[in-house]
Amino acid sequence: MSHAATTVPGHDQSHPELGFIRRYVFSLDHKVIGIQYIVTGLLMALVGAALATLIRLQLGWPERTWPLLAQLLPKGYAGGVMAPEFYLAVVTMHGTIMVFFFMSYVLVSGFGNYLVPLQVGARDMAFPLANMLSFWIGALSALLMIASFFVEGGAAAAGWTAYPPLSAVATAVPGSGMGQTIWLLSMAFFIASFTLSGLNIVATVFSVRAPGMSMWRMPLTVWSYFIASILGLLAFPALTAAAVMLLFDRHAGTSFFLPAGLVVGGRHLTNSGGSPLLWQHLFWFLGHPEVYVLILPALGIACDIIPAFTRKPIFGYRLSVWCLVAVGALSMVVWGHHMFVSGMSPFTGEYFSIATMTITLPMTVFGVNMLASLRGGAIRMGVPMMFSCAVLALFGSGGLGGLYLGNATADMQLTDTYFVVGHFHMMIGGVTLMATFGGLHYWFPKMFGRMMNETIGKAHFWLTFTPFFIIFFMQHFLGIQGAPRRYYAFTAYDFLRETRIQNLVVSSCAMVLIASQSLFVVNFVWSLFRGAPAADNPWEATTLEWTTSSPPPHDNFGQAELTVHRWPYEYGVESGDRDFADQRVPPGRVPVTA
Amino acid sequence: MQLALEPELSRREETVRLGLWMFLATVAMLFAAFASAYLVRRGGSDWMRINLPPVLWLNTALLVAGSGALEAAHAVGARRRWLSASAACGVALALGVGFLLGQLVAWEQLLSAGVDMPESPHSSFFYMLTGAHALHVVAALGVMLWTGLLTWTGAGRRQPRRWAAAMHSTRTIWHFLLGVWLFVFALISLY
Repeated sequence: MSHAATTVPGHDQSHPELGFIRRYVFSLDHKVIGIQYIVTGLLMALVGAALATLIRLQLGWPERTWPLLAQLLPKGYAGGVMAPEFYLAVVTMHGTIMVFFFMSYVLVSGFGNYLVPLQVGARDMAFPLANMLSFWIGALSALLMIASFFVEGGAAAAGWTAYPPLSAVATAVPGSGMGQTIWLLSMAFFIASFTLSGLNIVATVFSVRAPGMSMWRMPLTVWSYFIASILGLLAFPALTAAAVMLLFDRHAGTSFFLPAGLVVGGRHLTNSGGSPLLWQHLFWFLGHPEVYVLILPALGIACDIIPAFTRKPIFGYRLSVWCLVAVGALSMVVWGHHMFVSGMSPFTGEYFSIATMTITLPMTVFGVNMLASLRGGAIRMGVPMMFSCAVLALFGSGGLGGLYLGNATADMQLTDTYFVVGHFHMMIGGVTLMATFGGLHYWFPKMFGRMMNETIGKAHFWLTFTPFFIIFFMQHFLGIQGAPRRYYAFTAYDFLRETRIQNLVVSSCAMVLIASQSLFVVNFVWSLFRGAPAADNPWEATTLEWTTSSPPPHDNFGQAELTVHRWPYEYGVESGDRDFADQRVPPGRVPVTA
Repeated sequence: MQLALEPELSRREETVRLGLWMFLATVAMLFAAFASAYLVRRGGSDWMRINLPPVLWLNTALLVAGSGALEAAHAVGARRRWLSASAACGVALALGVGFLLGQLVAWEQLLSAGVDMPESPHSSFFYMLTGAHALHVVAALGVMLWTGLLTWTGAGRRQPRRWAAAMHSTRTIWHFLLGVWLFVFALISLY
């Protein structure tokens, strides 16, 4: 692949004196926008965690009444007992917020914005104005989603997948009214925001790399964002189209998704001929690539952290890049494995099974490369490394569950059970959560010029990883026992009563997990103001962001001319008193090894 | 003196072109999703074709002529004949507005005939697809207006590269939307 231009992209290298509003609110600086996304996503995570608390209180202690919650949420907890329709809304919004407004914002748009220009040696994103618009449209989207709690009928209750007819008939359940309409509008804004962000990342990677930064010298983090962004750009419009059609079904009397013969609330609907399965196809054409939009950056981040803490190069760099490319391509053609029980032809099911099994090959190679990167390393067990190991652990164990769910015959037994819940929480919940924490600990010094507290960080790690693993590992077994997801009162069913203790353990662990996040909040806020000052390169890492100050100046690299001389994982080399060479060290000083 | 029709691009111009094409790729995926939904829904037992208003043919011609006018504006602008370029931009803009008005006429004719959106799946898709396309045309007209202003105010004379870049974006978007329309029109007419 060709090298980028031979001149540093011509951005303003001065430090313009901007007012507070232009500097921190309507900023064009990718670093500020990245941090804005991260903070917004973390705030949304608090909402998502609060909703998880309500879910687990209901499932762990199903007969208890909650007087305090009755006072705080009088409509949802009339008489201290959670209302079934409120439970559905809480489950729906928990999934929506965590997938789209926490993980996507922090991991993809947040870290992506912050890291990609720095790691490719650019002065900013390719389109800074579009980048700012992206954030503010995204913020509006998040606000809309939160606002839906307060409209008549409450928030959407059709699940984060918004399957019709529940999502298409405004009178189906309370949340199917205004709450569902706002959900759809919010998602449309989210997709617009993500499109602008994705365009920027792809254009930045293609067009504004520093001299010498060939594609084969890009860190795996950048590769992962590059591929995830392309996936998002190509897959997300399908949900836009579906959302438009669903809005017309809801408000204009069309029948895109509504079949004939529906009776809701004793009223016979006049719709005819629509196909709820059409929504499922369109949703999952977005939904499955979205999984990889989240997972790939998580793996990319772990791949950048691991070499800095093992002091040896990442294993199989080029092969890992090709794995990312293969996974990206395959992820666009496997969406049907979410629909094995929808009545699809066995032949189609066979295709989707085989395609899904095929994706395990590059994913496994990638995982083995990560494991091999640990072998023989002089491992420093810092907090980012601990979270990266957790990424590996969850990627391996969660991925194993995927083998069953990707196989049509096994999936027919396990679909819509807690096995699925356990699986996707380990993957797009756990792998991404651990990478998020690892990434925050790793790049916090670069972002804010201060170190996070190591002791609190380690305590937070153990109090996060341990309950997280117990919760979702156990949920696999709940699923094997046949426990369906989204059931409000499992004790009403004889065959589920024996799962009471398991649910109690899961809920107890969930309380520990959620409560322990206060450690992270304290560490984050305390370190912002009182953390030890950070050196420019506290982890002795090799990628370009560590060659500039902490935090970086407005134009990232100051007046210095920037030329890249080597690949991003030059560890274990003799370089004076150091064992690494960053990407700017010329070959005359330290030989280039790859 | 003549402007090169395809001058060597600056880094920035290359980036803008790339960004534009990626954005158009997302638009293409949006219409591909609509089209796939159309194909699936077309198999429903309640599918009932509507008679499409003949004015759609005229609208198609206006859109094609708009593309032609933009090409003419580009060609004469490259020869620095700014008066002709201004006129051609004006014609392209008028043709674009004419297309939108024509689409409104088509809607009005259908509504007058009692064919509204829920009437049949075919009419639902007709209104939705033409509406989605028209919204993109409105945005494209905004870009075209910007290029027209550059031409009319003499900015093209003073900053020929800027003019050429704006004209390139306008032509790309307009030709792309023409392609989308031909696809949509063929889909709803023939299948």
